[in-house]
Amino acid sequence: MANNVLLDRTFVACSHPIRRGILERLAGGEMTVGEATGDFGVSKPAISKHLKLLEEAGAITRVIDGRTHRLRLREQPLEDAYEWMSNQRELWERKFDTVEEYLREQREHQQPPRGAPQQENNPAKESK
Amino acid sequence: MTETTKPNETSLRLQRTYDAPAEDVFDAWTNPEVLRRWWRANPAWITPIAEVDLRVGGRYRISMEDPESGKKFTAGGEYSEVSRPTRLVYSWQWEQEDGELGHSSTVAVDFRAEGEQTTVVLEHTGLESLESRDSHGQGWEGVLEAFQTHLNERAAQTS
Repeated sequence: MANNVLLDRTFVACSHPIRRGILERLAGGEMTVGEATGDFGVSKPAISKHLKLLEEAGAITRVIDGRTHRLRLREQPLEDAYEWMSNQRELWERKFDTVEEYLREQREHQQPPRGAPQQENNPAKESK
Repeated sequence: MTETTKPNETSLRLQRTYDAPAEDVFDAWTNPEVLRRWWRANPAWITPIAEVDLRVGGRYRISMEDPESGKKFTAGGEYSEVSRPTRLVYSWQWEQEDGELGHSSTVAVDFRAEGEQTTVVLEHTGLESLESRDSHGQGWEGVLEAFQTHLNERAAQTS
């Protein structure tokens, strides 16, 4: 299981619409900071804060090429988070299954299925 | 009362309908025997711990173990709402290998009686830990799925 602290950071990174927007854009490939963060309608300091959180989570890296800063998606943390979510969903699915199985067993033990023959309690039938 | 759920930003949401009264479903959900059966990766594994102290402030703890490798997966948490047979809320924490508890998230389970049936709606939230929840935008599970699709497409292209 992946490191919990890093996973927490990845969850944090994904928990804001602007950060998710940036990740979605970068899923298409490397971009300049301007391309990746333009048109969100928030201030530059706000964008810097979001980028910092994404970098801390290891979700993106910054490639500095002269005066151009390019952003690139790092896949491992997102893959880990995806796996965590899928595993957790699978666990709950299995819990639902187990409850279903258990309820079915309980029902079968407590009462005979409807329409089952009841010959033992009905000797009159035998004399017929 | 439960508001109708728009699956929220950082949550898992699952739902299933059972042919049983809400009391039975609620009891099964919290039954240690059910936990023991559920909490194993496969039939060869054992579940040495399945403890339930079903009251507000009470804790549960479940542990599964691979008898061959000795590998263990333990989770636990505390009940914050126990309203039989309608609602159950508890925290969820994985125990890390050093025994420390990991990040705490929240599981809310609603049991909705509908005639002879009961619909169970489970929502696992709080996976984002620090941030306040957003009210718009795509769910982050969606982002991860989009991302996964992108990875798959790329893998298909390169192969």
